[in-house]
Amino acid sequence: MSELRNIYKIISNKKVCPRFYHLKIEAPKLVKNVRPGQFIHIRVRDSVEPFFRRPFCVYRAQDSIDILYEVVGKGTALLSAKKKNDQLDILGPLGNTFSMPPEGVQTVVMIAGGIGVAPFLFLTDQLKTRPVHLILLYGGRTKEHIFSLAPFKKNGCKIYTATDDGSVGVRGRVSELFFHVPKDSRGTWIYTCGPKPMMASAQQFAQEHQINGEASCEEVMACGLGACLGCATKTKEGYKTVCYDGPVFDLNELVF
Amino acid sequence: MNLNVSIGSIVFDNPVTVASGTFSAAEKFYGLKGWKRLGAIVPKTITLHAREGNPPPRIWETPAGMINAIGLENAGTKAFITDKLPGLASIGRPLIISVLGYSVEEFQSIVELLAGSPEIVAIELNLSCPNLKQKKLVAQDPQAAQQIVAAVKRISSKPMIAKLSPNVTDITEIAQAVEAAGADAISLVNTFSAMAIDIHKQKPVLGNITGGLSGPAIRPIAVCMVYQTYKKVNIPIIGMGGIMTAGDAIEFILAGATMVAVGTANFIQPQVPLDVLNGIRQYMKDRKIADVKDLIGAAHRA
Repeated sequence: MSELRNIYKIISNKKVCPRFYHLKIEAPKLVKNVRPGQFIHIRVRDSVEPFFRRPFCVYRAQDSIDILYEVVGKGTALLSAKKKNDQLDILGPLGNTFSMPPEGVQTVVMIAGGIGVAPFLFLTDQLKTRPVHLILLYGGRTKEHIFSLAPFKKNGCKIYTATDDGSVGVRGRVSELFFHVPKDSRGTWIYTCGPKPMMASAQQFAQEHQINGEASCEEVMACGLGACLGCATKTKEGYKTVCYDGPVFDLNELVF
Repeated sequence: MNLNVSIGSIVFDNPVTVASGTFSAAEKFYGLKGWKRLGAIVPKTITLHAREGNPPPRIWETPAGMINAIGLENAGTKAFITDKLPGLASIGRPLIISVLGYSVEEFQSIVELLAGSPEIVAIELNLSCPNLKQKKLVAQDPQAAQQIVAAVKRISSKPMIAKLSPNVTDITEIAQAVEAAGADAISLVNTFSAMAIDIHKQKPVLGNITGGLSGPAIRPIAVCMVYQTYKKVNIPIIGMGGIMTAGDAIEFILAGATMVAVGTANFIQPQVPLDVLNGIRQYMKDRKIADVKDLIGAAHRA
């Protein structure tokens, strides 16, 4: 396991909006090995409390490993208190990767809800050199969930935002923004990540217009290595593990 | 330093193994050298026919532990033999296969199907299966447990290890019953019945409603059960329940365990079984103990 588990040092850990933090980790080996869509499994402290590691998809892998996370419970609260030079016990990179859009695709649409936007910056770091239009449809609950999407803009993404309360962008769910998606079954490719109802609506839209794509999933996770079968998610071929078979699945294969 | 221990006629290089359901499926990690040092490997329980497993959520974090209700997801015995066994055998360690049947005949069928594989040195009988005649688990009924042990002993010469459930009034009664039926060893303990409730949704968290608690939270209870059972039986005990460190494992050995299995810790720190093995060595070295067998049950002699 020594090749998978390492202790890394924190470079910075900053709040980027009321709900989200941006963690930078000094991890040259991970930067070299990780691919868009993969995750790392962090033990937030050397203790049995909290017990599980916490999985985070990689937000960016350039000079450092970057994680964008929302404080939702004990693990992320402890993580948010970490300071520069603190050490983190990390397993990774784990899981599969996003596939690159197939030949003939002209528009890539990323449909993200809340912290589900996190895997897409790394993805656009790779897609920006390709001859495709990038569109990001981003839905946050309130303006507390909206952080600067400037790095996405810099990567050439056209961005449309919706919030439940209308405090930023369009009022309503991210599905209110689906009219921006070119209804071209060969020319459009969808990536989605976010709450299940949102991904289900993305799947429904994709199926109506015969568009293909991929979804990055989340479940309560223990091992991250495909051993416990705890993070099962339902697919047309039966249960699959988010950590080992995923986290990226064919959008149309998932059963919500 | 002698770390050898035996169960039935099988001698293991050292007493450290893994608990079923905590080490498998991750084929891409098998190449790791460290695993070749474990005393034995116990893959996830197999059933005769494939099982889809329980609906999610299947796991939940608890104070110093977790609740799981995986639902014995597996591809069935035949698929295990063709698809999983070659990979497991390639690790080069003795394999103990954990099996669960829904009847005496199913237990026998699984054992028969596994008979042709020499790398399988012993069978662990997961007795936490429903007892069809009574509304409880086989592991909660001394007679039903005895019946299964006797039935598999009749058809196989491989050592049979009975894995018992801690969800009983007196685990030593069940332990004595399986010993009388011919069990070669006992695994103590399986998970404790448990559940969690989501206070926002006001409903059970797990898809299966209830599950089994494991991890350090249960360790003192498991140690106690090993201690009590050691007094009552003569066959070896494989001790497990929340082992995270070598010290935890040594506690089980001192209580009476011949072997120790690292379970839930594999989900947190995959190298724990190897750390436990190294730590046991260091403990023996520091105390000039030449044979690990001198530690087994030592707490009873203190």
